[in-house]
Amino acid sequence: MSCETENELTAYLDGELAPADAAAVRAHLAGCERCRATLAVLRRTLETLQGLPDFEPSLALRRQVLGRVVDAPAPLGARLAALLRPAVLVPSAAGLLAASAVAVLLWGPGRTALPPELQDGLALGVALNYEVVADSDYDLLGLDGPDDLEVVEHLQELEGRP
Amino acid sequence: MDIDADAELMLRVAEGDRSAFTPLFDRHHRGVARFAFRFVGDRARAEELTQDIFVKLFRNAGRYRPSARFKTFLYRVAANHCLNEVRRGEYRVRHVSEGPEEGEPLEPPAPETERPDAHLAGRELEAALGRALQALSERERAAFTLARFEGMAYREIAEVLEASEAAVKSLIHRATLAVARSLEAFQAGAEPLRSRA
Repeated sequence: MSCETENELTAYLDGELAPADAAAVRAHLAGCERCRATLAVLRRTLETLQGLPDFEPSLALRRQVLGRVVDAPAPLGARLAALLRPAVLVPSAAGLLAASAVAVLLWGPGRTALPPELQDGLALGVALNYEVVADSDYDLLGLDGPDDLEVVEHLQELEGRP
Repeated sequence: MDIDADAELMLRVAEGDRSAFTPLFDRHHRGVARFAFRFVGDRARAEELTQDIFVKLFRNAGRYRPSARFKTFLYRVAANHCLNEVRRGEYRVRHVSEGPEEGEPLEPPAPETERPDAHLAGRELEAALGRALQALSERERAAFTLARFEGMAYREIAEVLEASEAAVKSLIHRATLAVARSLEAFQAGAEPLRSRA
């Protein structure tokens, strides 16, 4: 039969107990052979783990990651902040017309319904002005999914506007 | 607000400064790779996951808020990515004991001064640890790995895993006890073999 204190032994070894709780465990250990044995096993295991060789990633990993980052588009927030500078943000009437026409072509009667996240008018408006529309999914908007759309919706915060 | 150096670099990345990403990668990629390795039990898979995690970090730099410590944010991305990929089944776990595939380097090379029998014992121990880790639940494994190999405090692990400290304490205790029992059993069984060497 195990005792309640056994559940405290790992945190005790890790120094994660409050002083009063650690003192209570110490007092319990003095009279509980079973918990002393468990503590010894746990301590030996932690020593064994500390003696294992460290995992060293390959040198190729650095080259591969930094290469992918160089090739990747800038973070979405930076791209949108640049695009939404006042000089760029003010859309031309022709631009709005073109975006509206593309939207009708893609999502007009008989077309696939928009994902729910895109049904918000403001978010869709921003997205349509941001990338050329080519297909009815997030990729065509330059977005990876609903998470990126959330960034679009909070552009004012990115730009520090109230 | 007190912003750590990593957080400042991350904010620069978010503003489009790619050069700020390199020091962040250099500081943290070993820890992330080690976490991924212990989580999936396979060197090549761990490196693939580490690549994906850092590219994801770069692409989502704009979502970072310096109210969270950078390291906590990074390991949250890493833990969620590993958990999701393992659940999705794209990264099938292969125990170290199954041995390397053709053309794959052996798990960590033995120092030249190390005796062959000691190296064999080390590899057997690694394999036993790999089996013990894979027998844990995913959250136990994540909590255990962050505590034992990344040296994180319970509070920090709780932030990474978005759990309470009490839950993390319980996860780590169960995991440590299970690993301890597995390694004790392995060492008890392996002892006669090693004594003949």
